[in-house]
Amino acid sequence: MNGTKKKITRLEKKFDRILMREDTGLIKKKKGSRAFRKLMSNRLAVAGIIIVSVILLAAVFAPLICRYDPLKLDLRNKLQKPSIVHLLGTDQLGRDIFARIVYGGRVSILVGMGSALTSAVVGVAIGAYTGYKGGLLDNIMLRLSEIVMAFPQIILVLLLVTIMGQGLRNLIIIFTLTGWGGIYRMTRAQMLSLREEEYVQALRAFGLNSFAIAYKHMLPNAVGPIVVNITLSTAMFILYEAALSFLGLGVPLNISTWGNIVNIAQDLRYLQFFWWLWVPGAIVISLFVLGVNFIGDGLRDSADPMQQG
Amino acid sequence: MLTYTLRRLLILIPMLLFLSFLIYLGLELTPGDAVSYMISPERYATMDPAELEAVREALGLSDPFLIRYVKWLGGVIKGDFGYSLQSGVPIKDIVFDRLPATLELSAGAILISTIFGIFFGTISALKRGSIGDNALTLAGMLGVSVPRFIFGLLAILLFTFHLKWLPVGGRLRPGYEGFMDRLPHLIMPTLVLSSTLIAGVMRYSRASMLDAMNRDFMKTARSKGLPEWRVNFVHGLRVSLIPVIVLIAFRLPILLGGTVIIEQVFQWPGIGNEFIGAVRSRNYPIVMMIAFFTTFAVLFVSFLIDLFTALLDPRVKLD
Amino acid sequence: MKRITMLLILIGLVLLVSLPVFAGGQNEAEAPAEETAVMEEGVGPTNSNPLSDLRVRQAIAYAIDMDTIAETMFDGMVLPATGRVPDGPMKAPGLNRYAYDPDKSRALLKAANWDPNYKLDLGYYYGDQMTVDLMTAIQAYLSDVGIKMSFRKLEGDVGAQLNSVPTDPANGPSAVEIDLGYGGHAALALQEYFNVYKTGKSAQYPSDPKMDALIDAINATADPVELKKALFEIEKYEVDNLAAYSLYYMPMFVYESIDLNRNGEIYGNPQYNYDWNIQNWTMKPESNGKMVLQTNGGPIEFFQNPWENPGIWISNKVLYDRLIACDGALTPTHGQMADYELSSDGMTLKFTMKDGVKWHDGAAVTVDDVQFSIEKIILAPTAHKVLLSTFNSIKGAEEFIAGTADHISGINTDGNTITIEMAKLDPNILLTFTQFAILPEKYLADADPLKMLQSPFFQHPVGSGPYKIGKVEMNDYLVMVPNEDYYDGVPKIDEIQCYPSFDSDPNVVKNATAGILDYGFSKNPSEVSSLRALDNIKLETVDVPYTRILWFYQYPKK
Repeated sequence: MNGTKKKITRLEKKFDRILMREDTGLIKKKKGSRAFRKLMSNRLAVAGIIIVSVILLAAVFAPLICRYDPLKLDLRNKLQKPSIVHLLGTDQLGRDIFARIVYGGRVSILVGMGSALTSAVVGVAIGAYTGYKGGLLDNIMLRLSEIVMAFPQIILVLLLVTIMGQGLRNLIIIFTLTGWGGIYRMTRAQMLSLREEEYVQALRAFGLNSFAIAYKHMLPNAVGPIVVNITLSTAMFILYEAALSFLGLGVPLNISTWGNIVNIAQDLRYLQFFWWLWVPGAIVISLFVLGVNFIGDGLRDSADPMQQG
Repeated sequence: MLTYTLRRLLILIPMLLFLSFLIYLGLELTPGDAVSYMISPERYATMDPAELEAVREALGLSDPFLIRYVKWLGGVIKGDFGYSLQSGVPIKDIVFDRLPATLELSAGAILISTIFGIFFGTISALKRGSIGDNALTLAGMLGVSVPRFIFGLLAILLFTFHLKWLPVGGRLRPGYEGFMDRLPHLIMPTLVLSSTLIAGVMRYSRASMLDAMNRDFMKTARSKGLPEWRVNFVHGLRVSLIPVIVLIAFRLPILLGGTVIIEQVFQWPGIGNEFIGAVRSRNYPIVMMIAFFTTFAVLFVSFLIDLFTALLDPRVKLD
Repeated sequence: MKRITMLLILIGLVLLVSLPVFAGGQNEAEAPAEETAVMEEGVGPTNSNPLSDLRVRQAIAYAIDMDTIAETMFDGMVLPATGRVPDGPMKAPGLNRYAYDPDKSRALLKAANWDPNYKLDLGYYYGDQMTVDLMTAIQAYLSDVGIKMSFRKLEGDVGAQLNSVPTDPANGPSAVEIDLGYGGHAALALQEYFNVYKTGKSAQYPSDPKMDALIDAINATADPVELKKALFEIEKYEVDNLAAYSLYYMPMFVYESIDLNRNGEIYGNPQYNYDWNIQNWTMKPESNGKMVLQTNGGPIEFFQNPWENPGIWISNKVLYDRLIACDGALTPTHGQMADYELSSDGMTLKFTMKDGVKWHDGAAVTVDDVQFSIEKIILAPTAHKVLLSTFNSIKGAEEFIAGTADHISGINTDGNTITIEMAKLDPNILLTFTQFAILPEKYLADADPLKMLQSPFFQHPVGSGPYKIGKVEMNDYLVMVPNEDYYDGVPKIDEIQCYPSFDSDPNVVKNATAGILDYGFSKNPSEVSSLRALDNIKLETVDVPYTRILWFYQYPKK
């Protein structure tokens, strides 16, 4: 008896909603959320998505698209110009540059996205809870983040690299340690404003524990800016990887990364006379970062209805 | 107001203490010390441990960690910032020697990026959606997406080797030390450094201008019948500039660190260069001092900014 | 919004997980290291470390195609090595070359029961691209014969990580982590090449009485014929026994702008001091008629000391002067600041100062300055080993170092002569004084030998060489001007300008291309290739005793 009654109410509600949509003329565009549509109508963002997906897919499916092993040396055929045999030529050890870039993308993207995600996890985990709870812990974390952020980031990174040593895992840890501050503060700010919302007060009144309120009920409402932040910091970390390689403090030189590939341009001979050693790598880094930035911008615009344009 | 200011100032002290302790601890955990860098690996290997210990002792590196930290801290409080482990030169002198080079570079870059950034950003906002706006947005995006050292190397390739207009790097040439003589050395690093900064300022001022244009007071101004340019530039720009200025001010001390790469590319003898050298050679006192000073500068500036915005914005409550 | 962000995060996570999974090719998985080597008499392993098996060391040597590497990677600029000592009169004839032979290598590994899952850990300390390239190539060659090797740049306490000697020099265990090492050895005296194997001195080579005897033999004589015989023996023993594998000899490349004219003065080993008579060099005058020589190696924070690397820095070469002059191959030829006389038994060396040798401040250089310099540097732990071993062999050196004597009793001065009496023979005594810079007592008397560089002297050094300090802007430039009082003639070049750099200057090619580098030297083949392409630079190749080596750490692992 009860069940049927409910069904009817739900159905009625549904009809009401459809009716309302018809009235406002929304019924035709049903696909995707408003934000998604807006993102897709942003031409730059679409271009960014395409660029990033192409590079990402190439990196993931590297063995399928590369004819050569990126580590295979061919000393007798070093410094070959781009040709049918080697699409982008060979480097100073006769390694296929196309393969190096494609495989190098795996590491560079891993560093960039991995660091962005881990710093987001750390930042959000701390920000959501302390932002909701407040108190001493909140105060301490706020000061800590201030300290981390007060350090010019590249100096802090340099310091940590010398302390912890070079290496892929260390690099991600270092980027996380230096990068969590921004996203933490953003999450915290979101939580602070959400804290006073009525539904949160209601949840509290129901006696839910703080963890559940913070992570399960409040956090999902703050997710938009967080995603924007993850995207933009991916771009930033990829650039950091390249900069550290330039200083000789990045991922060890024997692992192909975009930074390590482009780093060869420091040698004036290669910079001047063997452009194919570094130009393709430089273009790929720039394109990927550009693409990610486009997406980030698009997301920001679509997530924030206040900002037009 | 006074209590707010004092409280913010006082909280800086434990933060700086904590921070300095962290750096000191970090350096302590780093493998190797100044001694292992002062002596070449081949030589180091054949040295008696007693000899090494004697050098460490002489440099004051053999005390326990906490004692060294307290000694260092005591020195700083008394205004004695210590000596370079390698040359014995007071750190104060080293920092004051390098600081002008870095300031020159960052001041130039800030100036250029502020002027052009605000100009382009405002134009972009006023002509929103036009080809010019799109082109500028794209250029700005490129500016933040291309690795900075690539910019630098390309500039050297173009301006030094192909056009032969500008010197390859360095800051001073013997006998040519006036500002005009130094100018050619300054151009490339400053422009390359600004290229990334312009993009940031431009985006910020564009967004800020757009924001201002939608505000009620603009509508009011327009409805008063003021000419459009007056509305935009006098009312709009003035309001939109505040966040931009804050951004720029906030960047000032960060620039100290941001020049690291540029200083390397252009052999610029600034703080960034010094820092990298000191980090590599485990010259603790120098690393400590530069890290400490830059952080202090950032914290202090952020305190000033807070104060400034608090004064300007009546919505921010001071207690 | 929520849905697409969730989707994005999901995609991100999937990709992240997939990247390392797919990232085959780049990081080989760690394999457990297990010892399966079987003992065999004579050639078998001498301890639990497979590298103690001569056949494994031979297999590694045979697996590396050094000829191709030298020809392609190094553009023919280095010479594949046969033994430690570079080609020349002191090179033993008929040494095994270990020419590339992968089949032989595989056979040797099979005979030695090589465990294909054992992974060798190689450490090196150079930061340049060329080294990484070479390591990558060696890794590929080794993997071709079935040896797994990974390499890494050592950071921090490099010396300790490379060269810590085990407490028990016979049985170990090894005091270092790495299995293989790559590095260079530049010998001032050829004995230095082998003294490193002496029991209790080596981190790599377990105590070997036969090697010890051979080492004693090369250090016991100053007679050229006997020395040659002893060297030949130890060279052969080192190669046959593969104590370490010498990869290649690296020449030095001196680059000079075409505007520089040495006027017939000789070339020589640029890392040390030789009789190059810079006072006779000329430059093409600039428009104002001034001759200016631009180079690198200017001070960054302080002037480098002249006792650790006696001739690497141009400032040390021209600011200071030495007692004896030597030719380009560092063979002593004649007196520089002093005339000298070495007794026939090699145990007494007497110097008589020449007239008119002055410090840059105008005061005369006295024998007291010489005595002071020896007694100061003998206490400086970083001083060059050849210098120290000479000074330590002087009569009374031990008591002086121990602090029981105020002076070294073997050093006596009289008027303008100084006599040095040796307690034991040092074959390199003259060589030492070709490199040993005499320092002024009055400026350094109070300096602590343990931290001499902190003395204000090294902000503005005073020497007695052909050039003196004109102006120093630390980290911007250094200008050196002629010493008008120089006893060998006033230098002709009016100014030597140095921009700051470390001993390896990353900006050589950039600055040479820009025309602001008139003189320098390099041991970096990639740099030399670039310089070779420049029209305004001429290159001179100088053969020097500098060998790049693959070290085998043969002590059992912890």
